[in-house]
Amino acid sequence: MRFPFRSLASLCLLASLQPAASANEDFAFFESKIRPLLVEHCFDCHSGSKTKGGLSLDSKAGWSKGGDSGPALLPGDPDQSLLIKAVRYTDEDSAMPPKKKGGKLPDSKIALLEQWVKMGAPDPRVASAKIGGMNAVEAKTWWAFQPLPKTSAPSAPASASAQIDAFLNARIQSESLQPSAPADKRTLLRRATYDLTGLPPSPQEADAFLADSSPDAFTKVVDRLLASPQYGVQWGRHWLDVVRYADTAGENTDRPLIHAWRYRNWVFDALNKDLPYNEFIRFQIAGDLERASAQRAQLNEGIIATGYLAIARRFGHEISKDVHLMHEDLIDNLGKTFLGMTLACARCHDHKYDPISAADYYSLYGIFQSTRFSYPGCEASGKPRDMLPLIAKSEADALMKPWLQKRAQEDALRTKLASAGKTLKKSFTEETALLAAAPIAEGASVAFEQSQKTALDQITVRKGEVLLLTVSPNKNHGADSTLVEWTIRDTTSPERVWSVSDLVSSLTESNPHPGAQDAAWCFLSITKDGPVFLHQKATSVNGHSDIQKWSIGDIPSVFVNSSDQQLMVWTTLPARSFLIHPGPNQPVAVAWVSPMDGTIRVQGRVADAHPSKGDGVAFELQHLRTLGTGTALLELGRNLQIPEAGPAPSIPWAYAVAEAPPVNARLQLRGEPEKPGDEIPRRWLGIFGGQPLSKPTESGRRELGGWISSHPVAARVMTNRIWQWHFGNGIVRSPNDFGSRGEKPSHPELLEFLASEFVASGYSIKAMHRLIMQSAAYQRSSDTSESLLQKDPENRLLARFSRRRLAAEELRDSLLSVSGQLDLSPGEVHPFPPEDEWKFTQHSPFNAVYEHTKRSAFLMTQRQRRHPFLSLFDGADPNSSTAQRQTTTVPPQALFFLNNPFLHKQAAAFASTLTTIPDDPSRLRRAFRTLFQREPSAPELHHATTFLASYRTSPEDAWNAYSRILLAGNEFSHLD
Amino acid sequence: MNAHTIPRRHFLQSAVTGSLLFPGILQQLMADSTDPLAPKNPPLPAKAKRVIFLFMTGGVSHVDSFDPKPTLTRDHGKEIKADHPEIKGRPGYERIYLKRPQWEFSPRGKSGIEVSDLFPHMASCADELTLIRSMHTSHSNHYNATLGMHTGSFAFARPSIGSWVSYGLGTINKNLPSFVVIAPKQTYAGGQVFASDFLPGSHQGTLVIPGPEPVANVARRIPSDLQSRELDALRSLNQAHLQTRNADPLLEARLRTFETAFGMQMAVPDAFNLQEETDRTHEDYGLARGQTTGFGWQCLAARRLLERGVRFVELIDSGSSGNWDAHGDMMTHGPLAKNVDQPIAALLRDLKQRGMLEDTLVVWTTEFGRTPFNNTAEAKGREHHPWAFSSWLAGAGVKPGTVHGATDEHGMRASVDPVHVHDFHATILHLLGFDHEKLTYRHAGRDYRLTDVEGHVVKEILA
Repeated sequence: MRFPFRSLASLCLLASLQPAASANEDFAFFESKIRPLLVEHCFDCHSGSKTKGGLSLDSKAGWSKGGDSGPALLPGDPDQSLLIKAVRYTDEDSAMPPKKKGGKLPDSKIALLEQWVKMGAPDPRVASAKIGGMNAVEAKTWWAFQPLPKTSAPSAPASASAQIDAFLNARIQSESLQPSAPADKRTLLRRATYDLTGLPPSPQEADAFLADSSPDAFTKVVDRLLASPQYGVQWGRHWLDVVRYADTAGENTDRPLIHAWRYRNWVFDALNKDLPYNEFIRFQIAGDLERASAQRAQLNEGIIATGYLAIARRFGHEISKDVHLMHEDLIDNLGKTFLGMTLACARCHDHKYDPISAADYYSLYGIFQSTRFSYPGCEASGKPRDMLPLIAKSEADALMKPWLQKRAQEDALRTKLASAGKTLKKSFTEETALLAAAPIAEGASVAFEQSQKTALDQITVRKGEVLLLTVSPNKNHGADSTLVEWTIRDTTSPERVWSVSDLVSSLTESNPHPGAQDAAWCFLSITKDGPVFLHQKATSVNGHSDIQKWSIGDIPSVFVNSSDQQLMVWTTLPARSFLIHPGPNQPVAVAWVSPMDGTIRVQGRVADAHPSKGDGVAFELQHLRTLGTGTALLELGRNLQIPEAGPAPSIPWAYAVAEAPPVNARLQLRGEPEKPGDEIPRRWLGIFGGQPLSKPTESGRRELGGWISSHPVAARVMTNRIWQWHFGNGIVRSPNDFGSRGEKPSHPELLEFLASEFVASGYSIKAMHRLIMQSAAYQRSSDTSESLLQKDPENRLLARFSRRRLAAEELRDSLLSVSGQLDLSPGEVHPFPPEDEWKFTQHSPFNAVYEHTKRSAFLMTQRQRRHPFLSLFDGADPNSSTAQRQTTTVPPQALFFLNNPFLHKQAAAFASTLTTIPDDPSRLRRAFRTLFQREPSAPELHHATTFLASYRTSPEDAWNAYSRILLAGNEFSHLD
Repeated sequence: MNAHTIPRRHFLQSAVTGSLLFPGILQQLMADSTDPLAPKNPPLPAKAKRVIFLFMTGGVSHVDSFDPKPTLTRDHGKEIKADHPEIKGRPGYERIYLKRPQWEFSPRGKSGIEVSDLFPHMASCADELTLIRSMHTSHSNHYNATLGMHTGSFAFARPSIGSWVSYGLGTINKNLPSFVVIAPKQTYAGGQVFASDFLPGSHQGTLVIPGPEPVANVARRIPSDLQSRELDALRSLNQAHLQTRNADPLLEARLRTFETAFGMQMAVPDAFNLQEETDRTHEDYGLARGQTTGFGWQCLAARRLLERGVRFVELIDSGSSGNWDAHGDMMTHGPLAKNVDQPIAALLRDLKQRGMLEDTLVVWTTEFGRTPFNNTAEAKGREHHPWAFSSWLAGAGVKPGTVHGATDEHGMRASVDPVHVHDFHATILHLLGFDHEKLTYRHAGRDYRLTDVEGHVVKEILA
């Protein structure tokens, strides 16, 4: 027994708890019995970065804090300790270790653990200070998060470009390598033109550049290209890759986002006008707030820019149920895009490697929970809503109000009509007298008298009662055109006569249709819910203006031949005839509403007017005797004539976000929304200071935009992207990950220098292009020596320029461009089906490809189904951030060049642009100049003319074929 | 111009076009590091060299097909506790009742495995099957469960299992894709079920839609002799282009793809040319001569693809509607079963007879089961049931004629040896020679795998 009089702390321990002597012994017990046991049985899942159930057992702090269910041990009380309960297998759900990890411990080991807890669970292990998954010291000094070197003003372009080369050349020299020679002017022009616009240079542009021997010739080219509106499309497309832009929502029905295109075009415009990058960030996160008090046009820009947030992918059947997944998608993209940080890794637990805690994740989550996102609709809950109007609210209201009122009237009416229909259903089935009824065989005709069920010459009627003639399809099979003759006479005054033949000249004037002497006629479809008016009017049928009809859809219908001639159409329609066409299962009825009290006589006949088709019809003539039936029917019919509200007034909308009531999120244990933990205040990331919101009444987006855009890591990440899009690879080759799992910069000083220049230039992206493109490194040839290839196969040192294949969009745009088919005007909204016709379900999701000849950046991009061309040539995946395109080289791409109709069409169009040129050699020169900006060599000319001459079909075929060859060649689709 | 061709490239071409003469060299060429589809050996000993994955869309009822539940029949009409995720809060489903199976079960073959009369032909192959009656999954929506069964992810787009296998093994026949999906209609979750996602695009499933022209851009638009001339001219043009540049694997690889594409124009129609098959075979698969649709066509085409070196063939039987999703009436299972039953049995026999079953893994599954209950005992249909369903494996590396796991007495929960979708995936990869925890791909700073952070190999079913 020794007294460890080593520190005051141990003295206190000694005083307060137990004899120090036993503390040492206790630790010894832990070391010899408990630590090995924990390592063997628990550490697989509960140590280091593995914290199943949120529980870590590799430090005292770990088990004290415990997992999702609270502290794992209650020192001194084994029975109340969750860990002991678990190893005892008391409760099957929490039994540990699980069967797959060896199952229940032997009793002896359980006893050891119990003893240890009874002893007070002595545990000398101290966790090292960590932020998220990174050692705190390392985190605070992490290279990417450090301030940038101070630069008061941007360097002069020439000296800055020289500085780039100085950094690169130092490495090249230290490796004893020889950089490649400068590229020739043609190659350089082709490289720069594709780089900045995604399109080939024209032969005239090539001539002009080759002829310009002034020292700033290339500078002028770069300026010209940067001023082209096509620049924004090309570089905007890069940005859309990163923000995983799509025109559909991605939930189970993949609904169209009709208004998302405004954000896409905003990105192109912002790049064209060189919106400073820090503003570019702030706009996408909180443009609506940044421009809250600006003029309408500026405000609109701000609103549209937040489309970045709104295009977050939606998930599931009922998207509001899976909203936590949308937030994850958003926070994931936000982190990668702007900060090069994998923030979403902290959704279920602290980040395993980087200094990001789960609390950081939920502090941002709260900001987006305090934001209202445009809602795309989903299968479970209906229509899109919460778009942002791009006109003043008063203006939008003024437009919308009358329409909404009409809609409300229409809805109210529809409800009223439905209930009227139900009431009428009763009087159509109860208190009725059957006057006549008969089936009508194929081609037959039956007079009422032949089939009468009661005398038809003395029927007593009261005013408002109804006589109803119903024609139904026989045997429930199809239906036929049926001729109807029907006359009703007042037996006391023979001049009072009503007949359907009176309706022939005026059928479509109205329904209900006025009859003589205050009677009325109604044309109805008889449904299981009661009578429904045939409300669709056609004043010509099958191109015959003599045929008019009332119908619902094509059939059921009531129609007439109003001509004095019989008409040969689908069958022969007698002159001046009145006809009925029931639908399958849909009887059609003509109702006569009596204007009188008295007795009437009824005559008529029903005939199959379309023999040899179907299997006939049947009719019933009824007397509906419920008082008021006729009045109710007429009421129902007249109300139908209130005009429909029609399509909604066209208001420009943005798919964007707005502020919502501010709220802090609660941590979701293990990332599960059903397991809420502590409330986490909205704030900036802990590693960057964790500043709280200065205005908690706002969502926090405005401040978040400010924090992100002013952080040096944002400048580093974007500088690296710009570099990558010029050279093919970044200085950091993991452009979306500047954390510990990402790659380190190949030229750290260069990145620091460029990022500082970027900030000093006022975050001008165009200034960065000028700087980089003026460097010797950018202008080097892609050809190189064998030794260079062997020493630096990946071209990390940039002693040469990396050859690249055209991206999918560049390839399609080039094909359209050289064939003269490319439409350079910007695309706007896609031709989606009208919103009120959407019936998308997971069983039948939205699915379309819309072809056009505009630039490929304007193609409709769907999340569930890739565009076939873009997918074939490694286009971006709109489901997650694409920081860098892949280049796969697979045979199906070659098959495209061999057999695809689009390729054949462009090749033929290209060939036809050459037809005005007289001879093959001149045509070949033009072709080579258009496609490659150079003259063909003598052997090439010889080879091509031989091919053309030997192609045995027509010269047109031969040129189509040779055009395909030129377009399929490596030179067309690669940049040196 | 040919005289200037640098020797290696020249050699390479002749080797490809004359592949029959230089098999050894061809092998070498295909192992070229620039080719992501070069054949690779798996890290562990493997029983299976290829997979055929039969996916029944919509949710096949386990209690009506492969999971006999006499107690369910006995307790028909009995009310049970309504705590199922699928019906939670759904009006009209406050009370639920057990509902008996609609098809009779009986023991089949020597193994005596009980299979219902829904699948009489598959039942006759019971001795070949390794039936798992304790499958379960993590979602009760078609979209999510279908995505999960294909990618191991129930929400986010991830590479499909076929893409992972292609990534791990490459392909043996350069004239055909490594991963082929034959599906008559668009299924739930769309192209995501066969997408390579972040894996290189060459591992993407090639979609074949049954019909006269199953693969896009394969049908020649000009006669073969003219096309050969064009390709010769293209080769010269490309060679001239190469000559003035350093050797570049990217350019050379692209040049090669045209040779392969040329071959594919023959290989693909050849693979799908069922005319070569005998009348007897047609009859076995329930196919009329000249027929180019139906599951029989899909199965026979699949066998021909496997014979020609395709690594992973998936057959999907129906689309996102008109499938096994029998909410309204269980009897709709009848015609769907009829479509697949005979062809699948024929496929198993055919593979066995050709000796291919020894190194081919056949997988039959669906996205989830169907509820053993409904809101009335008389209801004709069944709802989605993620808690339990049946799948089977057959062929390479699994124990034939066995049953693994079980559900409880009513088929409600996978109660004995439950097998989650992740475990199912881990086992398939194991049979192909991969440790599912080690077949990874680094993307966005993380090593991704098919089984995410889950999955255990079901060792009990391994032969």
